[in-house]
Amino acid sequence: MEEIVFGIGITALAGALATVAGAAEDTESDIGSQGDPNSQVQLAPQMGYIHRIFNKAVAGEPPAYGLWVALGAGLAWAFMAMQINPILAIVLGSALAVFVQGVYATTAYLGRTASLAKFGQPVYIDILKSMTTVTMAHAFVAIFTTVAMCHLIISALGHPFPLPLLGLVWGIALGAAGSATGNPFYGKERQYQEQKFGAGVPISASGNIVRYAEAGQRNSLDNGFFSAKLGGPASGICFGLIVFFELWRTVVFEELNIWGPIVVGVVVILIFAIIDRYIEVWARKNFGPYTAPEEASS
Amino acid sequence: MSVKIEVGAGGIPHNRILIYGLVGSLVLIYLTYLNTYFQTEYFAFFGGLAAVAALIWGTDTIKHLCSYGLGTGVPSAGMIALGSGVIAALFGATTGIFAPIVTIVIAAIIGAVAGIMANHVVRMDIPVMIVSLIELAIVGAMTVLGLAAMACGTFEFLGMITGTVSFLGFTVQTYETSVIGGSIIAVIFMLGAIAIQHSFNACLGPGEQQDRTLMLAAECGFLSMIPVAIISFAFIGTYAALVALVISIVGWFYTYRKYIVLSKRDAYAWLDAKPILEPKGGA
Repeated sequence: MEEIVFGIGITALAGALATVAGAAEDTESDIGSQGDPNSQVQLAPQMGYIHRIFNKAVAGEPPAYGLWVALGAGLAWAFMAMQINPILAIVLGSALAVFVQGVYATTAYLGRTASLAKFGQPVYIDILKSMTTVTMAHAFVAIFTTVAMCHLIISALGHPFPLPLLGLVWGIALGAAGSATGNPFYGKERQYQEQKFGAGVPISASGNIVRYAEAGQRNSLDNGFFSAKLGGPASGICFGLIVFFELWRTVVFEELNIWGPIVVGVVVILIFAIIDRYIEVWARKNFGPYTAPEEASS
Repeated sequence: MSVKIEVGAGGIPHNRILIYGLVGSLVLIYLTYLNTYFQTEYFAFFGGLAAVAALIWGTDTIKHLCSYGLGTGVPSAGMIALGSGVIAALFGATTGIFAPIVTIVIAAIIGAVAGIMANHVVRMDIPVMIVSLIELAIVGAMTVLGLAAMACGTFEFLGMITGTVSFLGFTVQTYETSVIGGSIIAVIFMLGAIAIQHSFNACLGPGEQQDRTLMLAAECGFLSMIPVAIISFAFIGTYAALVALVISIVGWFYTYRKYIVLSKRDAYAWLDAKPILEPKGGA
């Protein structure tokens, strides 16, 4: 019994770390317009909308975070193998992984922007200087918390995987959670505030992203504020719940029966599917179906 | 939905890059065998250089494959390359001194099967698909084998599954602290998978230039060498790992600076803290 209580404590701590990781991950990727907002940022100059938005397309978020977290975990593992204290090892590993992330971000922005020379999109060096560092800081938080969570899972809960492999698995999960949950807030709402709410993105509005702010010109740091308010916490809750339920079902139900965690996992998925369906139906009923506007107004 | 990607024309022909990449990575990976020959660990860094040569070739292959309108398929191409490659590399590593050659043969077979599946079963019908996937599988395999050899000093399987751990002053050989046992191979897999796709993914567009893309490929290769060199401190001697680290950092710094210069050359304008330049005639 004591073991289960200890396990639930670790599970809660891992869930809390995962929540922080999810929030930082989504804010980081939105500042860099990574993931699905990227297509419109990339398209904007081709449609004549020159912008000052950071465009760091390293890969989709799941593979990119698979690398950052696996790299942080691998380096931390190597430092621990060199008899360095685990906390220090995880910090050093995450810092070096963030260095790699920062270099990838700068080369992605320079490459994408230089290849758009034909459309008159200049390279804004100040964007590179100010925004790369902000994404690196958020990425550090995301990587550090995820690697720390993996270390907890191994050392406290006795997971059999080595740290780098667990880092790869949870890194991909982190990227997927941020990409699926957080990006719609930024990609569909913040970028397209010039369109009517719920209008979607018609072909004629492709690339017409918001480029000017309340005062002056918008850059990706403004998108960072927005993401930190809505998309980030949503991603954090998503990833935190994933980690919590994943560990909780194993810790609590493994004692009863070896099939217990699997059955509970299926039940949890079914419950969430019902909740999601209810929210979707509720939202449709309250906000109405999308109808064609009666008169075209733009 | 696939978007047509325009790529720059001209530059070095792909077949020449293929030959340079294949022969270069094969020779460089065999140079790590000097470690076994001289009973030392100082030649481990040649494995990383082999990965750089392979990545440059792989980038050009991805450029050819993805110019057939695989917009979001660029990162996937990197994943399939390294996914096929890691199987071939681990199988090849068990064959001792013939490891690099066996790896290439196995990778070619896996790539051909994947290519035939993609073209005839999934019916993607891309003319260069089979050849490109064969090339990508070989590139992925050489990258994995090269970086793994860099981490542990040898491309032989026994070296990859044995590590040493100091316990109360005694040195004990264990599986847990090896390249494969510690899943460092997973880190190498991701390093290679992102590095192989990043260069073309980052440089695609109508203004794409081959020299800039390939310089970025070399930069990604050297950048991947840096963490592998740091990880190798856990497996090989301190000075040998230090040599690898210094070579990685020097190579990365040189290619990164070159890449920035090339980006400056190709950019429309290079501005610092300037407002949006609206195009003439308005948006």
